[in-house]
Amino acid sequence: MRAWLIGILLVVGLHAGTIQNDEAFKSAVMSMGGDNKLILMIYTTEDCPECAYMKQKVFHDKMVEPYLSKNFVVIEKNVHKSKLPDGYDFFGIPTMFFIDKAGNKKETMVGSKRAQPFLKELHRIRGIK
Amino acid sequence: MRAFFLAAALGVTLSAYDAAHLKKALEEKECIGCDLRGANLSKIDFSGADFHGSNLSGADLHESIFEMGDLSDCNLSGANARGALFWKGTMQRSDLTYIHAKSANFKGTHLEQSNLAHADFRGTKSWKANFTEANLMKTDFTGAELGDAKFVRTDLRSANMKNALLWRTQFSASVMSKAQCAQAKKEESLLDNDVVCR
Repeated sequence: MRAWLIGILLVVGLHAGTIQNDEAFKSAVMSMGGDNKLILMIYTTEDCPECAYMKQKVFHDKMVEPYLSKNFVVIEKNVHKSKLPDGYDFFGIPTMFFIDKAGNKKETMVGSKRAQPFLKELHRIRGIK
Repeated sequence: MRAFFLAAALGVTLSAYDAAHLKKALEEKECIGCDLRGANLSKIDFSGADFHGSNLSGADLHESIFEMGDLSDCNLSGANARGALFWKGTMQRSDLTYIHAKSANFKGTHLEQSNLAHADFRGTKSWKANFTEANLMKTDFTGAELGDAKFVRTDLRSANMKNALLWRTQFSASVMSKAQCAQAKKEESLLDNDVVCR
């Protein structure tokens, strides 16, 4: 019985689970309150200059930052350290997933972008029904 | 007529690959010191393959994957490498003159002492690539992403860097035009004191 329970726990431990059960996602949804924002989930690694560029430069661009904070909640997952939710595989770093409150994936973006085209993409994604 | 014969002779030379070498390359994803001139190697996954010392001049490599592959000491002059992926590969001391590599991926690729004269690197993803002691005469880096890339002991003056992304790009013991230096500073590149802007 004990071995069986340990087995179950191990399986649960290894299984990342759905996006709706992801702690960071749940916190992001909570932080929105009544706002109808989208979640931007960015996959990173420690040795990824493109990730640093997005996080340190593009996200804080004077045009991008106000729009991003008004319409999105950013969560970061280091793919070497975090459990990744089911259905959110990646083929390159950084990968950015845009997800609505209910946990529906609306768009995926692979790689970095300069501030202006990134902002244009944010506007487009925000407009997706 | 003479021009026709010359062109025909050149054409024969460019696609005069060794059929046995091509077969080996396609079947084993490895061919060291092979003659693959003008061969069609497009849209194939060669991840981790070893082609070092091979002649791939004029070969068609477009949209192929050479992730972590060894292409050092190769001749890739005039090859079509549009959209190819050389991620974390090694291309040291290779001849990349006149290569067509528009939109290819050279992230983390080792290009030390390579000859990139007249190479088309427009729109490449070349983050963290190493261009130490590379020949960059008239290399076209228009719109290339060169963030965190390394340029040591290079002469960039004739290279086209228009709209290139140079965030944290490292320049050391290199010669650059004044316009390139201004662009690099604006883009938050890391310029060592031994960089000459003239």
